[in-house]
Amino acid sequence: MSSKEDILKKVRTNIGQRYDMPDLSDIKAVAYTDPLAQFVKMTETVGGRAIEVAPGRDVNTLIRQLFPEAREIASNLPELSIATRNPDTVGSAGELNGTDVGVVRGMFGVAENGCVWVPQQMKEKAVCFISEHLVILLRRTDIVNNMHEAYRRIAFNEYGYGTFISGPSKTADIAQVLVMGAQAARSTTVLLMPNVQSNT
Amino acid sequence: MHSKAAKEFLKNTSYAKWHDATFWAVRSKRDVMAQGLDEWEQLREKASAIKRHTISHLDEYLDMFAANAEKNGVVVHWAKDAGEFNDIVYGILRQHDVKKMVKSKSMLTEECEMNPYLESKGIEVVETDLGERIIQLKGQKPSHIVMPAIHLNHDDVGELFEQKGISDEPGNHDPTYLTYRARLSLRDEFLTADAGMTGANFGIAATGDIVVCTNEGNADMSTSCPRLHIAAIGLEKVIPDYDCLAVFQRLLCRAGTGQPTTTYTSHFRKARPTAREMHIVLVDNGRSDWLANADHWEVLKCIRCGSCMNTCPVYRRSGGYSYSYFIPGPVGINLGMLRDPQQHSTDVAACTLCLSCQSVCPVQIDLGDQIYKWRQQLEQFGTANPSKRRMSDAMSLLFGSPALYRTATAVSPLLNLLPSFVIDSRLNPWAEGHRMMQFPRRPFHEAIKEERKTEQAKDHE
Amino acid sequence: MKIGLFIPCYVDAVYPEVGMATYKLLRHLGLDVDYPDGQTCCGQPMANAGFERMAVPLAGRFERLFAACDYVVAPSVSCTAFVRLNYPRLLDHQCTTAAKAMDVVEFLHDVVKVRQRLGTFNHRVSLHNSCHGVRELHLSSPSEQHVPPFNKIKDLLALVDGCQVVEPERPDECCGFGGMFAVEETAVSAQMGRDKVERHIATGAEYVTGPDCSCLMHMAGVARKQGLEIRFKHVVEILAAGL
Repeated sequence: MSSKEDILKKVRTNIGQRYDMPDLSDIKAVAYTDPLAQFVKMTETVGGRAIEVAPGRDVNTLIRQLFPEAREIASNLPELSIATRNPDTVGSAGELNGTDVGVVRGMFGVAENGCVWVPQQMKEKAVCFISEHLVILLRRTDIVNNMHEAYRRIAFNEYGYGTFISGPSKTADIAQVLVMGAQAARSTTVLLMPNVQSNT
Repeated sequence: MHSKAAKEFLKNTSYAKWHDATFWAVRSKRDVMAQGLDEWEQLREKASAIKRHTISHLDEYLDMFAANAEKNGVVVHWAKDAGEFNDIVYGILRQHDVKKMVKSKSMLTEECEMNPYLESKGIEVVETDLGERIIQLKGQKPSHIVMPAIHLNHDDVGELFEQKGISDEPGNHDPTYLTYRARLSLRDEFLTADAGMTGANFGIAATGDIVVCTNEGNADMSTSCPRLHIAAIGLEKVIPDYDCLAVFQRLLCRAGTGQPTTTYTSHFRKARPTAREMHIVLVDNGRSDWLANADHWEVLKCIRCGSCMNTCPVYRRSGGYSYSYFIPGPVGINLGMLRDPQQHSTDVAACTLCLSCQSVCPVQIDLGDQIYKWRQQLEQFGTANPSKRRMSDAMSLLFGSPALYRTATAVSPLLNLLPSFVIDSRLNPWAEGHRMMQFPRRPFHEAIKEERKTEQAKDHE
Repeated sequence: MKIGLFIPCYVDAVYPEVGMATYKLLRHLGLDVDYPDGQTCCGQPMANAGFERMAVPLAGRFERLFAACDYVVAPSVSCTAFVRLNYPRLLDHQCTTAAKAMDVVEFLHDVVKVRQRLGTFNHRVSLHNSCHGVRELHLSSPSEQHVPPFNKIKDLLALVDGCQVVEPERPDECCGFGGMFAVEETAVSAQMGRDKVERHIATGAEYVTGPDCSCLMHMAGVARKQGLEIRFKHVVEILAAGL
């Protein structure tokens, strides 16, 4: 017998009392009168930044203003004209090292914790983590209240990866002192895009 | 033995006070989170119920999980024990000619002692969680499951980094600086590693996905750069679906660190296109046996949040190294007893049965009640403390006979007359920390007789 | 309503005044109180040490002594919790007294529903929420949980003239007694005791009060060893003060 069969057999034999699946539809999950405001508040609480982008504002100019010293900008988003690197066309993930600003698209935000759902939409997802600074474009109307709503809404594409990102990478492992910027982005900026087709 | 180790720990009074205050602060942050969600207790009940259901149907869910992962092109392995797990991992790494593997935090790999095994086979393993990396460089074990390097201060880390060439400013022990230097060092490791290993906070049966939660982003870096991803997951980490995941994701970080979420909650369904393969190794290593233990199987509900340790007044005042099992605190005492009762019996004394642990546990494991139950089994295991047994026998004798008991209370006031060199001697452990109490001249059962005589006399008036 | 008074071993031998205060308070409230002869111990010390089988004969005696009572009332949350939660199992469910066992605080609060003014105690007291009271008998809302806050001990102390009740930081953290824990893990137990006493003193209170003498005994012993003068009284002594 394979280990799989051995293990499953032992599990089956040793299970004692059986319990039913509870009903999850009656969970009184938190909801907000203004989910966007809560999302912004939570993003700031976790050390991130959320900026409302006025209709007609060029996101390229805005990013240049936010990161004046940035030289290498990685993105595969069609609206990004200032990208110097493209995570779809680099030879390897490692070639994205040294990226000052990575720009990706988020599909929706979660008000209760400042999370943004970022499914992989590029060949090298390293761009989300390897960049010194991360910028997430998010439509301002795409905010859900909580993770229950979020998990009903996530979708995976062929890449088979998605992550919720809330704020910058951080650690308090050295003497419990909180430091922003551990192994991934040292800052996370969510650009709350207006609810229009394109951003030019 | 825990009591001896704890005594040593407490000798460094300033450090012990800092340790207690630090973990109480995390407990307090958890409280703020709990008080901030009206549905907190409801979430705990649902989490417990989901786990009970899943674990009591674990064979079905494991089968479903593996089948779905395989449909996604993931290679699924099953390891009966730690040895098989290590062999499987080594086999995969050898097949792919891996010289160096980066990994994110996994208490499971600690349980299986994977790192030394791989190192003995000539494979370099680099821990990428900063706390784990620090203790790896120092050659130490984790002292807490979420904050493994908490026992070291910034000077300890500064000196370590200087020694290892990670820091380039001797004397600069500022945590922000040290974290930045670690970032540079680990960035290099991510870029030159041949494989990345993660643990799994959850496995989703309905889709075959692995879910990993980190604040540092190191699980994502470990899986974004190298050409191979291996995920190690204990059998009990599988949950039914994403509706269930929502409940646990909301509880995990709030309970464990007092944050509303970890920075990254990552879901891995298949290998990325520029990687070769993704492997999942399901590990039993005793879990299937524990299912049969009617008193203790519910420890399998544990989601490894660490909140029981943070609230435990004994853990906070004795530290992770005082416990014999690699996981300390309330859940560690229970897991150690399941793993090897003979070896870990002394830890069950490290508890006042205050039950704070089970009041915080996000999945409502009756941690303290289970420690009480383990104590009842020590005689069977042959590990009962003989002096506790003698004291209990003596009490049993005394309390078993009302006449003997009454005699004892009649003479106990004489203890008041004993000179302090007797009372405060090493034979009286109570005297170590306490001034001895005074025994009153008359115990209650004598005093009440007087009182009732007086009452009856009054009634007759 | 026939009440059986259960006075546990250490209350009987070390704090008889607490037993007496309990008896007098119940009598003051017009209740019919019996004190059956032959009481010793509930068995908790041995059980917590891992020898609960030694509590079985004690449970048997308890069952016989209190069979005729409507309620068994004890000034001790730890003993009451032990009886209520374990005796049915220890006696193979041939047990009627466990369900009738109540700590004096919950008895006065939930059964007698005392509303009248009680004693007089012109002092500030720091409330010690003993673990068994909080997490087993539900005398107060546990600080760990998001539940509506309540505290039955405070409710009763509000009926005492002049008594100012405060709570320390970490209001229901364990004092570190834990029965045999105190003699087995001497260092941790003493440290927990010292930390708790320090927090009680920081409230500015003259007295520490709580529903269990074992906690008070432990903290008093630790306090006296350090030369600290804060005083300790069981709740029932304050409720009965001056009656």
